[in-house]
This record gives sequence, C-alpha cells and structure tokens, in this order.
Amino acid sequence: MKTSRMLGLVMIAPAAIIILLFFLMPVILTAVFAMTNMSTATGISAGAYQVTQAAVNRLKTDMPELAAGISEPRFVIDEDGLTQLDALKLKPGFTAELRASHLGEVFLSRREAERMIKSLKERPSTREVKQISDVFNRSVMNTRFEDRAALMESLAKLGFKLSPQDEEKVSRATYTGWIWTADNFRTIANSQDMGQILLNTGFYVAVTLLLFNVGYALLLAVTTHYMPASTASVFRAIWLLPRITPVVIYVLMWKWLTWDNGFISLFMGLFGHPPKNYLLDSAGSAWFFVILINGFIGASMGMLVFSSAIKAIPQTHFYASEVDGANRWQQIRYIILPQLRWPILFVTCYQTLSLLASFNEILLSTRGGPGRSTEVWSLAAYHTALQNYTGNLEYGLGAAMALVLVVVGVILSLIYLRVFRYDTLVTKPLIED
Amino acid sequence: MRILLDKFCKSFGTTSVIEDMQLEVGSGEMLALLGPSGCGKSTTLFAICGIHRPTSGRILFGDRDVTNLPSQARNVGVVFQSYALYPHMTVEENIGFPLKVKRLATANIKQQVAEIAKLVQIDNLLGRRPGQLSGGQQQRVALARALIRRPDVLLLDEPLANLDAKLRLEMRSEIRRLQRETGITAILVTHDQVEAMSMCDRIAIMNKGEIVQIASPSDMYNDPRTAFVAGFLGNPPISFLKGRAEQGAFVLRDGGLKLPLPALSGIADGTELTLGVRPEHFGVAGGIPVEGRVTFAETQGRENLYDVVLPDGSVLRSIQPVRDDVKPGAQVRWMLDSSSTFVFAEDGRRL
Ligand SMILES: Nc1ncnc2c1ncn2[C@@H]1O[C@H](COP(=O)(O)OP(=O)(O)OP(=O)(O)O)[C@@H](O)[C@H]1O
Ligand SMILES: [Mg+2]
Repeated sequence: MKTSRMLGLVMIAPAAIIILLFFLMPVILTAVFAMTNMSTATGISAGAYQVTQAAVNRLKTDMPELAAGISEPRFVIDEDGLTQLDALKLKPGFTAELRASHLGEVFLSRREAERMIKSLKERPSTREVKQISDVFNRSVMNTRFEDRAALMESLAKLGFKLSPQDEEKVSRATYTGWIWTADNFRTIANSQDMGQILLNTGFYVAVTLLLFNVGYALLLAVTTHYMPASTASVFRAIWLLPRITPVVIYVLMWKWLTWDNGFISLFMGLFGHPPKNYLLDSAGSAWFFVILINGFIGASMGMLVFSSAIKAIPQTHFYASEVDGANRWQQIRYIILPQLRWPILFVTCYQTLSLLASFNEILLSTRGGPGRSTEVWSLAAYHTALQNYTGNLEYGLGAAMALVLVVVGVILSLIYLRVFRYDTLVTKPLIED
Repeated sequence: MRILLDKFCKSFGTTSVIEDMQLEVGSGEMLALLGPSGCGKSTTLFAICGIHRPTSGRILFGDRDVTNLPSQARNVGVVFQSYALYPHMTVEENIGFPLKVKRLATANIKQQVAEIAKLVQIDNLLGRRPGQLSGGQQQRVALARALIRRPDVLLLDEPLANLDAKLRLEMRSEIRRLQRETGITAILVTHDQVEAMSMCDRIAIMNKGEIVQIASPSDMYNDPRTAFVAGFLGNPPISFLKGRAEQGAFVLRDGGLKLPLPALSGIADGTELTLGVRPEHFGVAGGIPVEGRVTFAETQGRENLYDVVLPDGSVLRSIQPVRDDVKPGAQVRWMLDSSSTFVFAEDGRRL
C-alpha cells in the first residue's frame, strides 16, 4: 500500500508542478498585488521620496503647519550658498560677513531673509539683495530623494524639527513607490460604485445562467431529444454557430442589428420610429442585448452537455416509462431531469464561473454603458487595472477586485455542491485500496 | 383480454424482422414465445405493448384495435429483458412509478408497493437503488413494477433467467398463480423450454420472424410439425439420424439400420430423410436393436445420459434410470422404440 501511495505521488508530480505554476501562481500573484497600492503613479518597482503638491495635500489634515511650511521656500545660509555667492563676484564683504555671523541661520520667508541681507555692513543694493537671497533659496518641493535619510536630512537643514512619528508620516506621504496595504479592500467595501457593480454582476450572472445557459439549454436538449435525429442535429448545429463564430464578429453582427442605422432601426423606421442606437439607448435595452449575446453563446454548451447526457440514458428507460403510463412531461420530470442532475451541476458551476470572469462580450458591445449601467465586476476590474480614461491604472485595486471574484467563485461552487448533494452523485469506487 | 396480431409485419429500415405474423392469445391465456436468439421475440412484445408501431397489420386487444394507440393508453405490464429499472430511483420508487404517474395518493402507493414487494420477496430491499441489487433481485423488482397496476396484458421478456433454481421454481408458480387469479393475458418469452412447458397453456415456437407452430406443450412435444420444433423442445434434446427411404422403411446412410415406418408408405425409394429419436425412446425398452459405442456418460441424479456413436458416425442420445454398469468406451446394444420416432423430409417437414 505504502509503495503504491508513493508511486502515485511521483506520478502526479509533473501535473502538480504544472498546476502550481499555471493555475495556483496567478491566484497567488493576484493576492499579492491585491495587498499593494500599485498603480501607474507608483510604478511596479521601488520608488523614491518626493514632496509633491499631492504629498503636501495628504499631509494637510494631519500636520497642517508642516504642510504649509514645506510648501513654501525657506532661506538657509549654508556653505553651498556662500560658494555660489562667491561665483556671482559681488563685493567679497558679503560672503565674509554672512559666513562669520549668519552661517546656519534659517529664515522662514524671503522677506525676513532680505531684511537681514539689507542690514549687511556693505549695504547691498536692492538688485544685489535679490541676487544674494536667491542663492540661499532652499525648498524640498519637487526634489527627488533616493532614500528616506536624504529627505530627513534636507528637512532638518531647513529647520523642520520632526519627531520619529512625524518622520514616519512624512516619509509615507512623500513616498512615490508602492506599499503594502489593505486599503484596496476597504475601498471595495465602502465604495457605493462597487456595490452597484456587484448588483449588476449578480443580476447579469443569475439571469443569463437561469434563462439561457441552463434553462434554454435544457429546453433545447429535451426538445431535440424528442425530434427525429436529422432535424435535431440541424437544430443543434444552428445553436452552435454563436459559439464557433469569432466573438468579435459575432458581437459586430449584434451591433449591426442594433445601431442607429442598423436593422432594428430600419425596421422600426417603417413604422415611423426615429432611428436610435438600441444597444445603448437605455440601461434596460443594454441589459437585454448583453444577456441575449451572452446567453446565445452560453446556451450551446449546456445544450451539448445535456443532449449527450440524455443520449446516455438507455432507450429502454424511455420505453419502460411509456409502458408504465408516463406522458412526455412525466418522462421529462421523472426520468430525464433526475438523471441530468450531475450535468446540470456541472454546467451551472462552470457557467457561473465563466460568466463571472468573462467580460469580452460586454466590452465589445456596450463597454459597460450606457454610463456604467452594464459594468460588471470583471469589466470593472479590467477598467480599473488595465484600461481607463483617467490614465491612472490601479493595478493593486484591480487585483483586489479580481481576488474578490475568485473568492466569490469558490464560495458559489461550494454552495452548488451542497445544493446538488454532490456526495450522492458520486458512487463509491468499486476498487478498494 | 384476447390479443390478436393480424398480418403483423415489422421491419427496421430495410431489414424485415417479422413478416405476416398471425397470432391469437386467448383471454386469460398464458402463451410462451419460444425461439432462438434474434428471431424477433422481443420485437413482437414491443409491438404488443406499443413501443414499436407495426410496419403493417393490426393489433387487437379484445375487439379494440390498438394498432395506433400509444403505450400509455394500453395498460400493459412489461418485464424488459434488461429490466430497465430507473437507476436514480429506489426500489420502492421504481415499483410505485406506474401508480405515481397515475397521480395516486402517496400512502396508497406505499401500501400497494409493500404488498407486491412481499409477493416477490423483496420487501427488505425497498430502500436500495437498482445498482445495489443482484441480477435476480432486479428481475423481481421489474416484475413487481409490471404487476403493480394490474395490467390487462402482461408481457414477460425472459423474466426468470437470472434466478437460482429454487427461486425460479417459486416464481414460476407465483407468476402462474397470479396470472390465473387475475385473469391477465400473458406472453412469456423464454429460452427455457421447461419453463415454457410448465407455466404456459400454449407454446408458440418462432424461427426467423415467423411462428412455426403453436400448440399445447404436450402436443408440441409429441407432435412436432418440423424438425426445428422437435429440436427446440426437449431436454436433453432429440437426436437426428440422416438416411433415406427404402421400401417404406428408414435406412441409415451406411445401411446399418433399417426401421420400417408406417409414415413412409408412398414415399419414393431413395428420398433423403431425417429421423428424430428422443433420448427416452432409446434404451432398454423398444423393438429395434441398435449397436454402438458409448462415448459420453453423465449422471443427472435420478437419470443417466449417454451418447452412443453408431458405426456410421451419427450419434444417438439415451436417457435411462441410473445404472452404473456402462462406462464410456463400452460397446452397447440398446433398443430403439420405432413407433415414437419422427421422420422429417429434407426441408424439415414432418412426414
Ligand atoms: N431497432 C432495431 N433496428 C434494427 N434491427 C433491429 C432492431 N431491434 C431488433 N432488431 C433486429 O431484429 C431481430 C429480432 O430482434 P429481437 O430483439 O426481437 O430478438 P429476440 O428474439 O428477442 O432475441 P433474444 O432472444 O436474443 O432476445 C434481430 O436480428 C435484431 O438484430
Ligand atoms: Mg429479446
């Protein structure tokens, strides 16, 4: 027994590695990204420290004085400035006196600094005062510091006295790179937009699944079962077309149908209705078409799965039930449907997950519009992380949204297994080990 | 209820399975349908219960023409050859299904199921699914399902094939008792001629889609119309000797045996013939001595069975009360009861 277990492990190892690499890793990476605030602004490599206007704004609420001070230039009499002053070739007395009696002084504004310069013994002219003050003008605004120590040193030179906690706050506010944070989930939980998108998603998945991917697929499978074989296969082939047509072309055909000068508009024009874009006319009509587009694609898979499952029911079961007095409906109700429990579970699970995750049909048709009325979760994640109008792509937030999708999918699958009583569906293996 | 198949034909596509069958089963009668595999027994049953529509011809239940009536409207109980139990239902649900689709009250169904299950001795298995039953148990579930709604016509496609000898004997008499009591008209398909002979009022023997002979079991046994029928009934089976006619007698091909037979008067000399000898008519009693060598001996408990090879190589079977003086290889001289033999013409017709 033990060796056979070992052998099993060895044999499954390659598959396990593949699963780890290509199935588990994306989820893990998504989870990792979800815990960061990565975006176009932060980049994905390590960042620097920079006192931008945005950083100042961030500091304003917590430390208003510091924020005000940091955004204004200060005047510091330092060796750098003195060297520059020498290079200006003004009267040498200026440099000497400043070094002797003012080195290290910090002035909070130009006015204070110039008052001091004016009182120098060699009486600089107004133009010279300006020139001199300019070389001592120091600001951290928009200067890039490679590390935190450099920023703090500059701030200290400018006369900002910061406690360690303050230093922490300042460095966090001025850091331009990404950081670890759970803020994404807080954003998701608190945002009203997200709530709406969640509702959209639930509506979209439930209605498409119920009406088309399972409901309509079942209807097709059962009706084709009772048709003559040749008619049935023609019928099935027709319903397969949306599935095998490239999705871009398929959606394009829907657009032709619904555009201002599309088929529906032309047709309605006959009755005097002005042409309009039926796809994006209202939220209701947008949903109508989005669900049709997805439903027609999705129904074919269920139809195939259900049809082959019905085919697998021995013909004598149908004979027997007829002899037993069951009419068509009772046959469907008591013979076909109970034996389709496993395929229905499979299709429900599979299609829920694919509806949750796929947004290409919506992206190609309505792009989530009109407004954001057909924006579903996965499309929102795509817009957030990969493609939006503002240009700031929030990878971290997008990843967090994707992670929510994964969790929701797993939870739904578990619920389905419960509801369909999976344990009663699988027969115990006959071979015991 | 009388069943009448009138000029019944059935073909699947281009293959014709049954042609112009004429069969009448009297009301309350039990008929055995006997025949080799593939001869069309199941097809006939399927037509009677309405699963297959006849290609042509009529089917009558009593005086009612049911040819175009769907199965649901015929009130026929069928035990399918493959049982056709519903795998997702328990035994109880399987048996109760015909009542359930009639929308009977659950309590009523439960009670009737319990009764019939007791009858076929599966009342302890009601909670199981077909997959958890033995072949014989499944067969009894199928039987119970066919009987539960008291059908006018009961069709049994080899219903006892998978039972053990004791249970088979019990079920045989049980089915027969039920059928007699309720007056159901029944057709039993079987390969087992003992079953056919013991259970049924009449036997119909089929071959290649037609009914060769239809008669009571004893008539069928004692007066077969063709060599096929004679060969099909009887266990151990009849043995055939090839020969020809010579002055009103049957002569074996090598001339080693000569049997004067009244049936052969008027048959031209040299006509090729087949002689059928049942094993019980070759042994210690009889008028004509036959010599041969025993090649096979088998005891069946009360009786012994021997194969005896005649000098020309043909084989006669003999069944005799148990004796232990004859061993394989022994030369014997046993008696043949010529008055009980059958002669058949070359085409199998009885003379
Ligand atoms: N649906 C069908 N399509 C074509 N041929 C069929 C079909 N059903 C039966 N047959 C043929 O009809 C013939 C009779 O079949 P049937 O099932 O009636 O035989 P049977 O007498 O019941 O044999 P068995 O004793 O083996 O059950 C067979 O040759 C079979 O191949
Ligand atoms: Mg059969």
